[in-house]
Amino acid sequence: MSYAGYGRPALKSSVDVQLQTAFSDGNWNSVIRLADKRAKSLKDPYYEAIKICAESQLDGVAEKCAVLVAIDELAKQKTVPDIDTLELYEWAAGDFLDEDIDYADTLGPLRVKWAKANPKNTLAVECLQACLDHWDLVSAQQIATALDKAYLGSGDRRYMFWSISLTYLLSVSPQCSDTSRKVYSLLVLKQLERAAAITEDSPKVESTDRGLLNDEEIMLYYRVLLAHGTKEDFLKRIQSPRLGALSQLKEGHKALFWESLGTLESWAEWDLIYDLCLKAFRLGLNGTTPTFFVCDWRVWKSFVAAASKAADPDSALREVQSILKEFLAIDTKGAESIKKNLMLALLEITFRLPITTSGSDVGKKGLTPRVIQIGLFLDQYFERLSAFDDLKDHVADLTFEEAKVFMEDVVPKILDGKPDKPKQVILTSLKCKLQYLLTTCPQTLSHHPSVVDGQKQDKPYRCRFCSHLTSLPCEYCLKQIILEAATTHKQISADKELINAIPRLDKDPRLDLSLVIGTSLLKLSALPPNASGVTPPAMRDTNPGLLLQGIVVLEAQLRETPSDSGIRLLLVQLHLLIGCASYAHQLWVPMDVKRTIQDALSPLFFDRISSISPGLFQGSHPLMEPLRSYYSNSLRDNCPLRIWDAFSAGSYAGILRMSEYDDTLRRSCTLMMTLVEERRATRAFGGKIDTDIEAHQLTASITDGTKFLNKTDYGSFSNLESFHGPPIQDFIRVGPELSDERARLSYVSEQFFDILAFKPPKDYKPAKTNEAAIRDRNYILECLAHQSNSLTNVLHQPKTASLLTSSELSYFTTLSLLSAALLTSISTTRADPAPKSLSLLTASIRSSLTSLRTTYLTTSPLQTSATYFSLSNMHMLAHTRDTAVAVKHAAAFVLALHERELARDRSGKSALHKDVVAEMKALESVASKTLAETKSHVQKLKESLGESGWLDNMLGWVFGEGDETEGEPFRRAVSDILGGTYGAEEWAGKVLESWREGVKGWGMVRWE
Amino acid sequence: MANFRRFRPDDLNKLSKCNLDPLTETYELGFYLQYYAKWPSLFQVAEDQHGNIIGYIMGKLESSPDVYQFSEHYLPWHAHITAVTVAPEARRLGIGKLLTEQLEVAADANNTWFVDLFVRTTNFKAIAFYKSMGYSIFRVVKDYYGDHSSDPTRSSEDAYDMRKPMKRDVKKEHIREDGEKFEVDPSDVW
Ligand SMILES: CC(C)(COP(=O)(O)OP(=O)(O)OC[C@H]1O[C@@H](n2cnc3c(N)ncnc32)[C@H](O)[C@@H]1OP(=O)(O)O)[C@@H](O)C(=O)NCCC(=O)NCCS
Repeated sequence: MSYAGYGRPALKSSVDVQLQTAFSDGNWNSVIRLADKRAKSLKDPYYEAIKICAESQLDGVAEKCAVLVAIDELAKQKTVPDIDTLELYEWAAGDFLDEDIDYADTLGPLRVKWAKANPKNTLAVECLQACLDHWDLVSAQQIATALDKAYLGSGDRRYMFWSISLTYLLSVSPQCSDTSRKVYSLLVLKQLERAAAITEDSPKVESTDRGLLNDEEIMLYYRVLLAHGTKEDFLKRIQSPRLGALSQLKEGHKALFWESLGTLESWAEWDLIYDLCLKAFRLGLNGTTPTFFVCDWRVWKSFVAAASKAADPDSALREVQSILKEFLAIDTKGAESIKKNLMLALLEITFRLPITTSGSDVGKKGLTPRVIQIGLFLDQYFERLSAFDDLKDHVADLTFEEAKVFMEDVVPKILDGKPDKPKQVILTSLKCKLQYLLTTCPQTLSHHPSVVDGQKQDKPYRCRFCSHLTSLPCEYCLKQIILEAATTHKQISADKELINAIPRLDKDPRLDLSLVIGTSLLKLSALPPNASGVTPPAMRDTNPGLLLQGIVVLEAQLRETPSDSGIRLLLVQLHLLIGCASYAHQLWVPMDVKRTIQDALSPLFFDRISSISPGLFQGSHPLMEPLRSYYSNSLRDNCPLRIWDAFSAGSYAGILRMSEYDDTLRRSCTLMMTLVEERRATRAFGGKIDTDIEAHQLTASITDGTKFLNKTDYGSFSNLESFHGPPIQDFIRVGPELSDERARLSYVSEQFFDILAFKPPKDYKPAKTNEAAIRDRNYILECLAHQSNSLTNVLHQPKTASLLTSSELSYFTTLSLLSAALLTSISTTRADPAPKSLSLLTASIRSSLTSLRTTYLTTSPLQTSATYFSLSNMHMLAHTRDTAVAVKHAAAFVLALHERELARDRSGKSALHKDVVAEMKALESVASKTLAETKSHVQKLKESLGESGWLDNMLGWVFGEGDETEGEPFRRAVSDILGGTYGAEEWAGKVLESWREGVKGWGMVRWE
Repeated sequence: MANFRRFRPDDLNKLSKCNLDPLTETYELGFYLQYYAKWPSLFQVAEDQHGNIIGYIMGKLESSPDVYQFSEHYLPWHAHITAVTVAPEARRLGIGKLLTEQLEVAADANNTWFVDLFVRTTNFKAIAFYKSMGYSIFRVVKDYYGDHSSDPTRSSEDAYDMRKPMKRDVKKEHIREDGEKFEVDPSDVW
């Protein structure tokens, strides 16, 4: 079947020119008239189909639906349908497909019927493709199987693998019933085992055989084996002579070897891993494969891990070491990354061997082979941008004694050996980074009694480097690090020779120094990691001056190196943290996060944005439109994007991966964030929300069991923290990261708001108003019960609270109480006994509203510092407002329903209980009061920000005026590199401007 | 630390180290998936120890449409490098070279005549990179790019079409020594 324009199918060639022309011109009335005539004169039902198809293009609802009836009729018939008619109907039903009629129940089976009857017709493949386009796996699998059968013996292997791939997809798809699942799982495994046996047993597999030939087929086999087979079968096959990992390596296919390492590790099959790796490396050394074919870091790591688990780890590790040395002796021909892998593997081995002190320098307790090896690596690679990341886990793993020797002896010795000035500053900046890293390692602190003379000590540790009493991290060391970094920074800027040399370096060393200074200042400001919800708001416990100064240092650096995304990302998050959303946006935009990378990167700016600054949504461009359209474009069809390409190219392993990727994209936390942020912003300004969230095209595949996935990519953050503690993003993000729990709570909360907005359609006047009213009420009750259950379920999970900010926790908890309260209210009529649980529920609602309100509103914005804290916690203000709005709307919803019932049923029997009415009125008034207070708080913030002296105040903070650290050397050193207050003025102006803009946006929010 | 392997769709969630660099273009999802589906062996990545993608190469196999068979610009069966990029922090470690070598292995396995690519005439680093691996300029495509990478006052930029012969081209028939002198229009290339 060919298609003519706009995907419209071409008519059969036997159709006369007049009708053909009318059809291709889209002249539907003529088509209807002509087709009707031909149908009558020729008695050919095809013309009837043309007529129905043309009618579907008209505006009337009845005409549009005629094609659905026709499809239904066709589906009921036993005969094989006419393929041209099918094509016409499929096109005509277009918009209804998958929405109003299920392809898998109608057109899919019709396509199957036709394809089974005509498997050798080329159109049968198009039938398969059509079913795949609608992701009707049941029909697609049947067609593929029919094709395979029809072409058996023809030598065309494609159909066999299509059939196998589809049987597998079906066996893991929700489209498959549990009983069929077992059958399909067995079937697909058996088919592939048969194919594997052919390959394994025949001397040479021809392209016409039904064995496994290429890597895509073999990978498909292993995927299925893992999913549906036994561990024993996998272990046997992976070592087999033809299909085993090593023989595939010899053929130049690395993927199987690579992926099987992961599987074997999960089963702790260390001996086998050791054996496979050993043989694989030997293949490289003896020239069977390209020398460095498997010299990946991942393989070395597995090899070393397996050696350390061997019966005799010492000799196994020595063997690994000797193989490594053989590789190191070979010239890597410029593949520096390979050589570095080898060096790192050598380092890894040293960390697996028991710690011994080096024989040559017995006097130094910490000078172990581990330290020496790190030193050797450092000496060779310190100029590489990746040096810190390559070493950081190993350095953080050192004992304190080792770390001390490393920092105090080894590093200075390497420094002494580099007379070249640029090299010296590069190494010094790396040293500062390592020093910082060590402040995040608990082994550098020792416990100090937490109670001394009956007094609780706020510094429970003693730093083993500087001997000062401290909490984690050691403040004294941080200050020293800042001092050293700032001094080096200043030195570089003052040295002409260095300044001239910088353009020739991979990176300006001042970038790293600024990073160390900035991060240390953040830590000194006592920013707590945001891994869990913190009440009262964390910002109130931080020192604003140190925090802001840290930001200023990073900001100044970004001006010098605007393309450094590591620092830029930190600054985006930090400005969101202090409530400067519009400025954070200015920092975000140049990164050009667009198209595919949005799913992983957008949360870094957009998560919680509606609660920080709804005003951003009022700009000339819809703020989150690119993100929304990315999802709409990528998920428009039910079938995974480009999957047919993989079928036609024979990328069978690819088919599975593409379908898995599609599944994860549909349940992405970022997708849910996109929908929810936009809706909350729209509601804040009293805008209209077009579609219920449940009816949104992008939530079509979300069910109660869907697990949302957080795929946020923090890979580009400049992160100096060690593995002992949380990464830097956990300190500077506004609350915990995206999670399945938060996505679910947000989704259900939006459903709740949709119910509150539920009104029986205006233009629909049911004949039986009473029945309709009861139906509506039951529908509402059903939804509320479901929402209440879902919210409670998630909120009751032990870890949920730690995945939310305290404001979010109150908000979602109140919504869950509200849904339960509404459920009780609406189901209690005047005739029922007074609902006892209701007053408990409403009391809890009132108290959670009060606690949000008091936590946020108690500080008066008339003091500058209080204004600052308020501005950096608009997130809480937003939730106070949203909670109050929910309470108010919910109460209004119940009262309106009550009024409607009174109007409808004069007997008053179906009206709500008088206690319900009273409780709702009380809730409404508390909510109104909260809203009025919040509104006036925003007004006060605006006034406070309008006062003069703000800039001076901020600069005073940044430079420590009146702070306990004022006058300390580290403060002066930072001030020096910033060039005094002058250097921070521009930034302070931007921040102030951004706060004012944010509050202006809040001024436009509706408080009702 | 680096691993070299074939691309997988979930790598798209780990592209930030490469794609936040202004020199690297980000495409629509369907574009990446099309390459993955059709030419999986020509889509290779390098990843670091945390799974971040620190380099990738995307390529395809093709020849000019048959109707152009007798045109002087007809391209026989060859591999084309659509994109190659290495994260700034991982450059000059041979990662780009290893990725390109992987693609060349696949190009030979598919019996192609040559590997080709387009590069801005001002992208000196990339040109040096390709030349170091044996690629040479085959022709200059005038105004191939609709913008200029370094001069905002200009609305276009030329491309070099660079090539490296593969094993099949025993006689080196598909390369030229003085390619800089051969200028063609964008409409002459596919
Ligand atoms: C071009 C690019 C991919 C090179 O990647 P890479 O991993 O740094 O390159 P390699 O380390 O493999 O370099 C191999 C050889 O190429 C040459 N080369 C690479 N980068 C070079 C540079 N900046 N200047 C001069 N020669 C260079 C060298 O001869 C090098 O060998 P050597 O280091 O032993 O001297 C990388 O710079 C990049 O991603 N650039 C931005 C994106 C881009 O421009 N892509 C090309 C679009 S067509």
